[in-house]
Amino acid sequence: MIPRLALVLGDPAGIGPEIMAKLLAEEGNRQKAALLLVADPDELAEGMRIAGVDLPITRVNDPAAVAPGRIALHELRRAAPIPRAQSSAEGGAHAMATLRECLSLAQAGTVDGICFAPLNKASLHMAKMGHPDELHWFAEVLGHKGAHSEFNVLDGLWTCRVTSHVALREVADLITPEKVIGAVALIRDALLQAGIERPRIAVCGLNPHNGDNGAFGREEIEIIGPALEEARRRGLPCEGPYPADTIFLRAQPKADGTRDVDAIVTMYHDQGQIAMKLMGFWRGITVAGGLPVPITTCAHGTGFDIQGKGVARVGALQAAFDLACAMGARRRAAA
Amino acid sequence: MTPLPLALTMGEPAGIGPEITIAAWRAVRAAGPVFFLIGDPALLPGAPLALIERPEQAADAFPEALPVLPLSLAAPAVPGRLDPRNAPAVIAAIEQAVAFARAGRAGGVVTNPIQKSVLTAAGFPHPGHTEFLGELAGTGVPPVMMLACPGLRVVPVTIHVSLKRAAAELTTAAIVTQGLVVAEALRRDFGIAAPRLVVAGLNPHAGEDGTMGREDIEIVAPAVAALRAQGIAVRGPLPADTLFTPRARATYDCALCMYHDQALIPVKTLDMDGGVNVTLGLSIVRTSPDHGTALDIAGNGLADPGSLIAALRMAADMARHRAEGAAA
Repeated sequence: MIPRLALVLGDPAGIGPEIMAKLLAEEGNRQKAALLLVADPDELAEGMRIAGVDLPITRVNDPAAVAPGRIALHELRRAAPIPRAQSSAEGGAHAMATLRECLSLAQAGTVDGICFAPLNKASLHMAKMGHPDELHWFAEVLGHKGAHSEFNVLDGLWTCRVTSHVALREVADLITPEKVIGAVALIRDALLQAGIERPRIAVCGLNPHNGDNGAFGREEIEIIGPALEEARRRGLPCEGPYPADTIFLRAQPKADGTRDVDAIVTMYHDQGQIAMKLMGFWRGITVAGGLPVPITTCAHGTGFDIQGKGVARVGALQAAFDLACAMGARRRAAA
Repeated sequence: MTPLPLALTMGEPAGIGPEITIAAWRAVRAAGPVFFLIGDPALLPGAPLALIERPEQAADAFPEALPVLPLSLAAPAVPGRLDPRNAPAVIAAIEQAVAFARAGRAGGVVTNPIQKSVLTAAGFPHPGHTEFLGELAGTGVPPVMMLACPGLRVVPVTIHVSLKRAAAELTTAAIVTQGLVVAEALRRDFGIAAPRLVVAGLNPHAGEDGTMGREDIEIVAPAVAALRAQGIAVRGPLPADTLFTPRARATYDCALCMYHDQALIPVKTLDMDGGVNVTLGLSIVRTSPDHGTALDIAGNGLADPGSLIAALRMAADMARHRAEGAAA
């Protein structure tokens, strides 16, 4: 059974509407899932104009109510005009309104997953999101109290992190065995949901050269190493700690296209993000991990410098869409 | 002007140094750069060696055999097995190489990897190569470690300290001092007339206006301003995660990074086998491969000479820029 996905244009000030229009113009994409687009019809029309495409739309609130290959459009009008190519409270508020609708459709069981085009952080803050990032806002809207974490995915390699948006000097004190085990468990569950049956998870150390046997930092010996032993005892597949400076190259696909590692758990934000953005800034995707509904998006931003020109690449959104389809299908099958 | 030969030290005799040395010679014997090994000829049984007495003899011998300036080990080297009795010869090779470079008889020093633990056990008081070279060929400024691969140069401002200490010990003065050394070296040794530097932020998103750590405002930003006041083209603090994309890398000649892995993750992810470690701020040119002694694979012929070859080529380029600058 194909999944039912809710889609959002992201912040209309950016490249979101045009890349979503490009994505959905592919007949093959429209066959992968039953699609419900939550959007302002005028913003969608503008995205189609820029992308030079015309989409088969039916204005109805249920993705199951349209013929295969057509898109259900759930109309949600913007409250005020949204300026182009800049951050604004209007853009942030409209993006949040469309996402909120998707989240409630997911909770109601109308859709199995959500995929959205880029948001603009400054716009969200101007619109008083009240959280450092959208992941925490999703959790609040969903009433989700459990663990959650942002995952980054590039060409099939996943990362998640034990600490995220905190000062670097606070990182070491925040690394605890339970947090390390929790991160491994969280990404293991997501990998399973994405269809990777036997996930192989590598975990980074914290210090240079893994602390070089305790010469510069003992967290590998005292916290991370024992945490991984405990994780394995609990049946979680993981290896490490590995020195962070070489693990990303080792995780790359081999000549035959296979790889030895499906996911890397990092200890702090830039430990993973430097390598992931270096390797594929325009292909990376972000997953809101640990929530009851799969939510994916592109890792890149709203591209204000190229908005409206029709040149924005659709690759990352395509990858995010495909992953939402895969995860949504398993969620639907399990329901 | 014929370039001077490079002096290559033997490094840890039980490591991969000997085998990558002969492999590097095979790779560059025809086109250069010319170099000679300071070490024990017994490390390379069966290899085509030319025993020399003076660096000046290296160029003639080089196309046919690896020139070796003999320096005997106290005990026979066994791959993978460390022997503190050989530590004095390992250290002496470094001292000789530096002496030749300082005397203008070698274009620069390229060092094979050493095993710090065995040297320390033998009484070597320095934390590593870089500090020792600072003592042998210092110029009154602390030596600066730069890592380079095609398309990227990085300098970790703090190096071998825990992540916790790296954040606590970062100072404006360290960033400024190293930035000045880097800018000068890019001009003199790399032939970049107007070097462009960037400085990575310490915290995620460079602290995002102080909401994730204040070091970027209080420590890093003043260093950037001080470097700019000295006439250096420098930007920062910039978020580290987007600083190493292909587009970003095209906008600068060297990135100053605030901690070890911030510098090493991009350089190793880009080019694990071809990276070069360069010491700036010395009176001589010095490079080395950016890998260790690899005791676990030493002696079985698996070691990749790519990084050593890149180190030799980079040292030759740096020596050429220095010579041209001195002649001009």
